[in-house]
Amino acid sequence: MGALKLTVLILAWGGIIIVLGRGFSVNRLLLAVSNATGFAAGVAVGALLLSTLQGDASFAVAKAVLSALFLLHWLVSLAALYRSTGEGTTVERFQKMSNNPLSAACCSIAVGILAGTICSFRFIPQGGEVPLLTVVIVGFSGVCLTAFFFGVEQFVPKMPVPTAEVLMAIVVSFILFASSSIPRLDLFSPLVMKVMKLIHDIVHQFFESMLIPDHLFFRPEVWNYIGLLFGNRVGLWGGMLIWFTPVLLVAAAIRLERLPSVAHIRQGAERRTLLKAHIRERRTRLVAPLIAGVMLAAAVFQSRFPAVEYWDPKPLKVAATPSGSIFIPLTGEIDLKDGKIHKFLFKERGRDARFMVLQNSAGGYTVTLDACSICKPDGYGQTEGAVICYYCKTLIPLETVGKPGGCNPVPVPFMMEKNGIAIDGAALLNLWGITVQATNRVKGAAR
Amino acid sequence: MMDVLIETRGLTRNYGEICALKPLDLRVNNGEWLSIMGHSGSGKSTLLNLLGGLDRPSDGFIRVGGEDLRVLSEDGMARYRREFVGIIFQQHHLIPYLTAVENIMMAQYFHSVPDEAEARTALERVGLGHRLKNRPGELSGGEQQRVCIARAIINSPRLLLGDEPTGNLDHGSTRVVMELLSELRAEEQFTIIMVTHNHEVAAWGDRTIYLDDGVMVREELKGD
Repeated sequence: MGALKLTVLILAWGGIIIVLGRGFSVNRLLLAVSNATGFAAGVAVGALLLSTLQGDASFAVAKAVLSALFLLHWLVSLAALYRSTGEGTTVERFQKMSNNPLSAACCSIAVGILAGTICSFRFIPQGGEVPLLTVVIVGFSGVCLTAFFFGVEQFVPKMPVPTAEVLMAIVVSFILFASSSIPRLDLFSPLVMKVMKLIHDIVHQFFESMLIPDHLFFRPEVWNYIGLLFGNRVGLWGGMLIWFTPVLLVAAAIRLERLPSVAHIRQGAERRTLLKAHIRERRTRLVAPLIAGVMLAAAVFQSRFPAVEYWDPKPLKVAATPSGSIFIPLTGEIDLKDGKIHKFLFKERGRDARFMVLQNSAGGYTVTLDACSICKPDGYGQTEGAVICYYCKTLIPLETVGKPGGCNPVPVPFMMEKNGIAIDGAALLNLWGITVQATNRVKGAAR
Repeated sequence: MMDVLIETRGLTRNYGEICALKPLDLRVNNGEWLSIMGHSGSGKSTLLNLLGGLDRPSDGFIRVGGEDLRVLSEDGMARYRREFVGIIFQQHHLIPYLTAVENIMMAQYFHSVPDEAEARTALERVGLGHRLKNRPGELSGGEQQRVCIARAIINSPRLLLGDEPTGNLDHGSTRVVMELLSELRAEEQFTIIMVTHNHEVAAWGDRTIYLDDGVMVREELKGD
């Protein structure tokens, strides 16, 4: 697993260096030095953030920067599309920038800082004293890799007519690929959650007054379509739309770009040959957004199937009192007030049940099975603002944990007592048995 | 001194035991019109195929427009055929379900990119401006051959090869086609090599060579 994480980061950094080296038409030594300096500085910045900021604040800062970069990528892609229509020249200056040593160096340093920061977040432990040796090793490794990839870069074909939007698309995709390997820096999962929540909120607000089965205008069939918007996949598809659109815009901009005029060439065959060369070159340039798209797809894959595991505590064995009740104290061996899911295993007379307790943002508690009523009972892990069903990879916002239906964990009735939570053991075993039986009835238990 | 477009030395083509073309030395100047005559099986079409890059020699040297055809790769040969050579066949070989203009555009497509306006102009040049949208089956033999000529010259070849292009045409149509080729050569300055059985057609050339059993037996200059 460690090797996989390392490979992701090395791949991303190598990709960035090769793209910058092939994209910028300036001195390669300048680029190499800028990249290496930026990377080393980024590692130092990451270490500084991790040592000075408390909790997840350092990750929040890095994530905000990544979000801003993604937003900028969107804007540049839109500008590129606008320019390709031939009605604007706003992006022309970007093209000049790519051939300017100062701007090339600045871009390389900025990209290096970002990459270095991401690497430091991967290797430097959070909180407390930052191990200086780790910082030095990470920084030095980055510098060595920079030198190595600049050696490899010269064997890669030169990018045809590099433009700012194309460079940005590839670099951003590599950076997002790297950041998605760290769940707390991953942008895609939160994006999916936000899209899902937004759609649910809009639909809910819009139809709130009409949520009546015998509404005058809406026949029952209409609800089938409205129901699609509440599907578990809505967030994923919406998120992917936002995720991939900038790259598609860049590809569209390249495709719509006007070909240079060949009208001055008198001979038809020669004119068409030149035109074909231009068309072929334009087609070749589409490789860049294709690479970016592949890297973004890899980021999505990592985000949904991360190399790093989610928060998934080992279930703690609990027993019932003589009266048949299971009592979970709020504090003690486990602190239930930390906002994380806590898993428990209850066994009695050859039967067992796995359940979770979670304190929600309002301060209340929810008790659920570590299973839903649809999938195989592979259980849940926790990520930022959500739990994820290990079987179907559906993200469930923490706010909805405790509510029945869909891929939500099945709620378990419980009694809130002064110092803890009381659950009826027999009822728990029955509920687990019914749920697991139901999910096993369906072949493969797939949704 | 005129520059040489085609040069062969000891050019030979064997098909198993059969020697279709015996060692042939030939030079054709740029812009020249060469007619090749001979009986069936004398090696005319074999020579034409070798010059057009449709076949490779068994032995000997063949250079066309500076390209040594013996050493060209398959891709190089395809490029040579695409950019250097235009061919007119006796049987036309037009695509029956495409219109005249589409047949021309097909040749453009394989060369580079299609350009309908240019294809129309090419057909107008061969006097078929009124038959643009007709399919080959709706055209007479002479008209079909004119479409073939338009197709052959659309990519501005330096070498135009004709394999008995008037073999299926009546006297009137033959004359129209030959006049057309003569006009086009004057305008485009390409070299023509034409295989024919017809002495009248051969007489349109600057020079005529006679092949017999794969050997060049005689050579006549215009006016001889």
